[in-house]
Amino acid sequence: MADPILLREVSKAYQTAAGPIPAVRSVSLAVRDQEFLSILGPSGCGKSTLLGMIGGLVAADGGQILIDGEAVTRPSPRKVAMVFQDPGLFPWRTALDNVCFGLELQGVPQARRREVALGLLEPVGLKGFEDRYPRELSGGMRQRVAIARALALDTPILLMDEPFGALDEQTRLLMGEWLVGIRARTRKTIVFVTHSLQEAITLSDRIAVMTSRPGTIKDVLPVDLPYPRDLNSPPAVALRAKLWDHVRDESLRAMEGRA
Amino acid sequence: MRVWTWRALFLAGVLGAWEAVARPLDPVLYVAPSAIPGALLRVLRGQDMPALSGHLWLTLQEIGAAYGLAVAGGLWLGFLLGLRPLLGRIYEPILAALYAIPSVVWYPSLMLFFGLGPSSKIAFGFLLGFFPIVLSVLAGVRQVDRHLITVATSMGAGPWAVFRKVVLPGMASTLAGGLRTGLALSVVGVLVGEVLGARSGVGYVLNYVYGLLRTPEYVGLVVIVAAVVLVIDGVAGIFEARAKRWAG
Repeated sequence: MADPILLREVSKAYQTAAGPIPAVRSVSLAVRDQEFLSILGPSGCGKSTLLGMIGGLVAADGGQILIDGEAVTRPSPRKVAMVFQDPGLFPWRTALDNVCFGLELQGVPQARRREVALGLLEPVGLKGFEDRYPRELSGGMRQRVAIARALALDTPILLMDEPFGALDEQTRLLMGEWLVGIRARTRKTIVFVTHSLQEAITLSDRIAVMTSRPGTIKDVLPVDLPYPRDLNSPPAVALRAKLWDHVRDESLRAMEGRA
Repeated sequence: MRVWTWRALFLAGVLGAWEAVARPLDPVLYVAPSAIPGALLRVLRGQDMPALSGHLWLTLQEIGAAYGLAVAGGLWLGFLLGLRPLLGRIYEPILAALYAIPSVVWYPSLMLFFGLGPSSKIAFGFLLGFFPIVLSVLAGVRQVDRHLITVATSMGAGPWAVFRKVVLPGMASTLAGGLRTGLALSVVGVLVGEVLGARSGVGYVLNYVYGLLRTPEYVGLVVIVAAVVLVIDGVAGIFEARAKRWAG
């Protein structure tokens, strides 16, 4: 099967009053079918921009982005769903109605929408919270509603932009475990942006390390470890050391660049 | 309950004090509360004065027309400027400056343009109601969380769906506030217009009894106008609360 996501020499610069600022430079990457690929990099390295381009929210300046062999020009909600660091729930909708949003746009009848949404909220541990408004939910619950909302689109591809970045560490660990379960059930192709080494190692099949701005792919490392992953096992420790080596350099450069 | 008790006591105290002060003085200048029920009755019967119902109906129609135009114009211009950032940047300061000018200064020119009839009142009510609506649309559009628009777009929402399902609910409470203020000001505009010069309408009747120094009837009319305005604002308040609840 052909790779569902293919990037060729993709670049992007943001136009500012002070001139163009390059954000992503010449990224080439193939994401395999049903793969969990993490993009790891220091903050501000353009990983979110890269994900936005794959999702069709940001236009690339150069290069080519193909989803199932078709060039991306705008969001394609039948193939790609997205989750962001800020859950972005609609405050005027209940948890259930938030999950229904995408199906509503696709004209799915109400009874069917409700059925799908209820079926998604239960496994994410939100049974009984269907009629709560976002402000009545905790941060972790909100992000689970947002993920359920993305899953409702039932797309083969899921793009996640630091989805657990705003959560406390405990919640973050639990959400990671939970995502491994979801992934095992749904067999989606997932691209997961993160700056956490631990998260990348626990979740991914492969980890793409990005350089600091303008971001480009420095290395792609496979993670050949069985689930559930033990971060203290020798291969995990070795991988972590290798990743840290890459990321440390880039983070230092990013820090100096900003200072 | 305590609040209501205190409020009632306060109002009773004010009326009592007013009565005590007014009773020994000239009844033309100082209308005692005890004189109001009789005056109200004479106003409602149209005793020795124009019948109220026709004039009140005309005033309500003028308010309806003025407010309808203010809503239509305000929403149209507000969304035009709010959804096109460049236009907004060009014209919003002009709007804000116009809003800062006391609107009464426009009234003489409106009378010149539209004459003494209802149109000048409608124009003035429109002018007063229009600004808070436009400005609330502009503020509301700006207050919509950009991230929610990104999220909706990522799920395939086009411009119309974004507008209907994200922008509109996201700004509903601000818009409802603006619509309510606009209504209150449209009412003020029409009434002020009538008082400043008209041949019919509640303002005309007010001037009529006032001109004959029939102050008790004048106060009675004021009470009626106040009651009508309170009812209108109360209904608007219910709508506003509903919109706010809907928008979370």
